[in-house]
Amino acid sequence: MFFLGDYLRESRIMLLHYFSGVGILVSGAIHLVLVFFVGSYEENLSFDGGIFSVIAVYRNFAFAFTLELLLIFVAFHAFNGLRVILIELYQGKKWEMSVNWVLTAIAAFLVIYGTRTVLLARLI
Amino acid sequence: MSSSAKRTPPPPVYKARRASLLRSWLWPARSNLGRWAYTMQRVSGVGVSLYFLAHIIETGNVVGGLSMWSVPAYDIAKNNWNNTVDFLKNPLFDLGLVIIGFLLTFHTFNGLRLFFSEFGYGIGKPARPDYPYKPKSQNTLQDLIIWLSAILAALAAVYALNVLFG
Repeated sequence: MFFLGDYLRESRIMLLHYFSGVGILVSGAIHLVLVFFVGSYEENLSFDGGIFSVIAVYRNFAFAFTLELLLIFVAFHAFNGLRVILIELYQGKKWEMSVNWVLTAIAAFLVIYGTRTVLLARLI
Repeated sequence: MSSSAKRTPPPPVYKARRASLLRSWLWPARSNLGRWAYTMQRVSGVGVSLYFLAHIIETGNVVGGLSMWSVPAYDIAKNNWNNTVDFLKNPLFDLGLVIIGFLLTFHTFNGLRLFFSEFGYGIGKPARPDYPYKPKSQNTLQDLIIWLSAILAALAAVYALNVLFG
């Protein structure tokens, strides 16, 4: 964004990209372990009934918090990656501004929508 | 410059160059392994991003999707979730998950290689280029990690096949 131009320069965005990648490695590993490597896959995918079923994972604060972190990390990492690809494909002020705003809007929607899922599912 | 001055359209050669750029991204023929890893990293990144988009929409169904913005009743939420799982339980989506497992694993391990390279680990010290001018950064370790990523990705795909179809 225009007012962050001095601080959020390209090299720092790429550092954030790399460290969000490491964040995904940790929180994503926890997510995958909870689905695939503890209990049975069928039970973990069912709504309730198991220790690691869908609703039980949301109700556990630590697991829900991990999901929220994973959501934020992946939203940043994925959409910054797409931004890098699109800006390498074609250059121009108009194009780069459009790419930035459109991708930021989609990423923000996904973070809000995913956070809503986590918060509401905890209250079910 | 008057405001009515027409902007000259870009010469058609730019369009042709963009198309050839895309082609050389997606199929870097006669390139080394690192260049192939670059393409794979991008293709897998875009693939997993698309899955992320679908996954957030899919899991949002547990609380009623876009149509409901309050806490749903327990039975309604359970019904929503079971409907979503039933809808997604078919060979086409399962095959998609196998491919996502492959792409995600490759992206993870190749991404770790890039993480360490970014901070200078595993690419050798800077040195004077001498004949035959082989870049020190493109060394055996880098190639090994790229192949290892591909092998682990294949193993992840086999694991996913076993879970989903076995």
